[in-house]
Amino acid sequence: MSSSSLPRSSRFETWRLFVIYALILLVLTALLGRLLSLQVFGSQNWTLRAVDNYTREISSPAPRGIIYDRNNYILARNIASYDLTITPANIPDDDADIQRIYRDISALTGVPINHGTLEEAKLYAPCVEGPGIAQLVELGDSLAPYTPVKIKCNVSEEVARLVQERSIDWPGVGIEVNPIRDYPTGSLTADVIGFLGPIPAALEEQLTAKGFVANRDKVGYAGIELSMQDVLAGQNGSRVVQVDVAGKELRNIEPPKAAVPGYNLTLTIDTRLQQAAEASLLYEINYWNMYFGKTRISSGVVIAMNPKTGEILAMVSYPTYENNRMARFIPGYYYEQLNQDPRHPLLNNAIQSEYPPGSVFKLSAANGALNEGVVTTSQIIQTPGKLELCEQFTPNQPCGPNNTRPFVDWIYDKNPDGFGQLDFYHCIAYSSNVCFYKLGGGYGNEIKNGGLGIFRLGEYARALGYGAASGIELPGEVDGLIPDPQWKRIHQAENWSTGDTYIATVGQGYVLATPLQVLMSGATMANDGKLMQPTIIKSIEDSEGKVQTVWFNPQDFSLWVPSVDENSGREAWKNLNDGTIVDTLPAGSYQISPFVPNMKWDITKDPRIAEYQCRGGNCQKTGQMKVVDPSVVKNVQIGMRMAVTDPRGTLHNIYTKDYPLPIAVAGKTGTAEYCDDVALKAQRCQFGSWPTHSWTISYAPYDDPEIVIVAFEYNGGEGASVAAPVVARVMKAYFELKAIDLAGNGG
Amino acid sequence: MRGLSWRNFDFLLLGAMVLASAFGAMMIHSAIAGNLDLAGYDVRQIYFALAGVAVIILLASIDYRYWLSIYLPIYIVMMLFLISLSGLGQAAFGAQRWFQVGVLFVQPTEFAKIVVILILARYFEKSQNDPRDLKWLAKSLAWVWGLVIWILLQPNLSNVIVTMVIWAGMVWMNGIGIRQLLWLGLAVILLAFIAFPFLQPYQQARVLNFLFPDPNARHGAVYNVQQALIAIGSGGLFGKGYGHGTQTQLRFLKVRHTDFIFSATAEEFGIIGAIIIILIEAFIIWRCIRAAQKARDVSGAMIALGVALLIFFQGAANIAVNLNLIPVSGLPLPFISYGGSGLMSLMIGIGLVESVVMRHKELDF
Repeated sequence: MSSSSLPRSSRFETWRLFVIYALILLVLTALLGRLLSLQVFGSQNWTLRAVDNYTREISSPAPRGIIYDRNNYILARNIASYDLTITPANIPDDDADIQRIYRDISALTGVPINHGTLEEAKLYAPCVEGPGIAQLVELGDSLAPYTPVKIKCNVSEEVARLVQERSIDWPGVGIEVNPIRDYPTGSLTADVIGFLGPIPAALEEQLTAKGFVANRDKVGYAGIELSMQDVLAGQNGSRVVQVDVAGKELRNIEPPKAAVPGYNLTLTIDTRLQQAAEASLLYEINYWNMYFGKTRISSGVVIAMNPKTGEILAMVSYPTYENNRMARFIPGYYYEQLNQDPRHPLLNNAIQSEYPPGSVFKLSAANGALNEGVVTTSQIIQTPGKLELCEQFTPNQPCGPNNTRPFVDWIYDKNPDGFGQLDFYHCIAYSSNVCFYKLGGGYGNEIKNGGLGIFRLGEYARALGYGAASGIELPGEVDGLIPDPQWKRIHQAENWSTGDTYIATVGQGYVLATPLQVLMSGATMANDGKLMQPTIIKSIEDSEGKVQTVWFNPQDFSLWVPSVDENSGREAWKNLNDGTIVDTLPAGSYQISPFVPNMKWDITKDPRIAEYQCRGGNCQKTGQMKVVDPSVVKNVQIGMRMAVTDPRGTLHNIYTKDYPLPIAVAGKTGTAEYCDDVALKAQRCQFGSWPTHSWTISYAPYDDPEIVIVAFEYNGGEGASVAAPVVARVMKAYFELKAIDLAGNGG
Repeated sequence: MRGLSWRNFDFLLLGAMVLASAFGAMMIHSAIAGNLDLAGYDVRQIYFALAGVAVIILLASIDYRYWLSIYLPIYIVMMLFLISLSGLGQAAFGAQRWFQVGVLFVQPTEFAKIVVILILARYFEKSQNDPRDLKWLAKSLAWVWGLVIWILLQPNLSNVIVTMVIWAGMVWMNGIGIRQLLWLGLAVILLAFIAFPFLQPYQQARVLNFLFPDPNARHGAVYNVQQALIAIGSGGLFGKGYGHGTQTQLRFLKVRHTDFIFSATAEEFGIIGAIIIILIEAFIIWRCIRAAQKARDVSGAMIALGVALLIFFQGAANIAVNLNLIPVSGLPLPFISYGGSGLMSLMIGIGLVESVVMRHKELDF
């Protein structure tokens, strides 16, 4: 014990102890400094992150609006789809119990208990078959144990009920109900209704800001589902909940916001007439394709409209697609098949395709020629079988054998002498090409001053609805084309020739129109010059059935509802898409709900025709605008009526022999020569062997029209014999349905 | 038993320790709330603490020199325990860090640290008049590494570092020359670079994650430390209240009853609670160093100093991990973290310190 006798101070050198103390103090200071920086100075930021940790926003999907036809027949609805799920956190602890549940579920669904490894299971998207139940649950358990794992998607209702029934035996096993869009009428209305798809990446940011959930919510991809997305979608509800680290919901942090269901839509479509139109078109197409032993007519369109209100009653585009196949997800092979089909089944040919209108376009020339005084109703026009006309690219180009071309009437093959002497009415009724060549392009002394001319023809065509999108509430509408010399210089790098005018007058050459535009031209004539806005929407109601006031701007497809300007307190309009408020609606908007007939213009009252001063083929605008004289419209109507009543009229046989109707019908046929990529390949773009589209337009009753129908068949041949029967059958169906409705209402 | 005087028993030290343990048990209770697997751990910790107090009184009443006299059997038995847990033992018994004794899991490593303190205390007592040369240094190191090598082979790098810090502190206090110290420091730095490739992959990852954190790794390796920082930072000045820490109660904070119990405390009691914990620990350390100063011989002083260093280094390292100042180590917070072996070994240490402080006067009539 010698050491114990030493003085205490000598045992440790004091400075060495100080070093130890200093080190400890240094460490304590560092810890305190760090604590201060975290808890005092950085506290706000860390608190935000703590809140972020336990806060989760849960979106409850809003039911999408239902789409009805005009008779409240459902065209689009939501049906339940059942997914069988297992919540990893809720399965029993005992391995034997787990295995028993897995065995039962496997037997019920056919999903194997074990398949592949956990690593492989990570590569599968939900609902894709591959991994076994055990792998799916294990994966889910490691990610978010309280989130149900989808074991089998779209199980039958029986399986769903069975799972609910046995929920006590199978803890953790559940059924998730998802709304799936269902289209009871399927392909019959697919071109009008459209289909849904996942939120595209380009819109994800914008839509997420509006409460949509990517990979869950769907948006319209085509048709009404696309154009009316803003009213159909509704507003997702949301809950802000506190969750623990496993994702278990503990409580609501904020009062939950309930989902606002989307508005329901009632369309102007009459499904029965739609069905009749489709059947009529398919019957004709199949008949001719069978007759020729090949697919000759590859596509077609039928549209029926009330000319006085603009309500579209039927709109059929063939070929089409089955939108129910897109309900759950868009199958790649099916979409690819549709996309590569040269007939473009995904296009609504009624508005998204443009074709040469052919002789139905003569209505524009007839109005123009009579209104401009090019011809009078008493004038007799010589109509031989064909005209030898001089093709001049400049006014002073000399005419000789080199540039003389034959311009043939459609009767030439049957009767090379042509129609002979015709007045204005019979020119329309017989659809004489030679007559309209003369009216449009002039003919020596008979039709002076170069006839109507391409500029003035364009004015009257536009007045009837050609050359611009109609503004209907369907997306992807094209403008059609009314050519003029300037257009030709830009797009064809060639001067306008006199022949171009002749050809354009009969709706061929460069003239292009959508079937809906052709229908509008007929409807304008039927409605005494008043062009009604074509519409497919009859009303928009909220989920309680209250009709909403909604306006539609066809320029950007925005939808507007009445609102109040918060600043000024005045009445204003709110954009349903982005919520902007304006005092006055954008020009061109029209009310779509509740339904009111919207007149685009009245050609007999609204001056829409620009006046031209023409001298030797050169035409200048005078700056004056004029109207079409009501008598002109009346005279063209007489011509259209004579197409049915005159024994040699183009529509005479159809409405008196083939499909006799006790109602006065008027109309116009068209056989439009065309040359497109398909025809070029078949080497048919040669004189005498040009393929032709069939057109027919009819309205009835003649005195007080309530229905106007157009039919179009691609490569159909003669309009009077291929398209006219389609129109006649739909016409017949319309009046039969009307009689049924009247009887029903009366009883 | 000569000179036993309970008047010299350091009641403040015992009091601080009991306070820390009680606070620890309370925080464990909060941390494990709602976790069925860990249910009852808070009560177990109280039992350990009570048993520990009994051990302290028992050890205080026994002269610490008694243990130094039987150092060799203690050393050999501890070595055998450690060998059985090391690579050699794993071949025979499978990989474990503990022995199961009834319902208890005993971690010999925790007790090995006390044995290291005892062995070094005996060595420096015996060699107090030797010249402070390389031989003196090497022999002390040899005694330590007889045990530590098996801890390194477990592998348990953190506890190897703890023992080396204790050794370094004792060497320092026993008068190592400045030049030797510099050479030693250089050797440690060199060793760190040479040893890095031989570390276990998870240990390398921890060090790398600390030095070069990946900003995109949310659920990756930095997750636990990130959650600890969120817990501490969001605690603010006064905390969210006992049982109301969202990070702790909603289990975003991991291993919150052991490694990250400091974060749980800082979240629920704020910087006030965090500073109180640091102050209690500092007070305990100070009382141990005070005992070392009062000790009647070198071995007593070394025992007290060793225990002080053990508590200081483990505490500082644990808090520094919580504050993301050093890489994750897995060292518990003395007296606060859950863990029977850790608490018991520290209690044994405190018992030895009390034994030293009670016998600081040669004669006391």
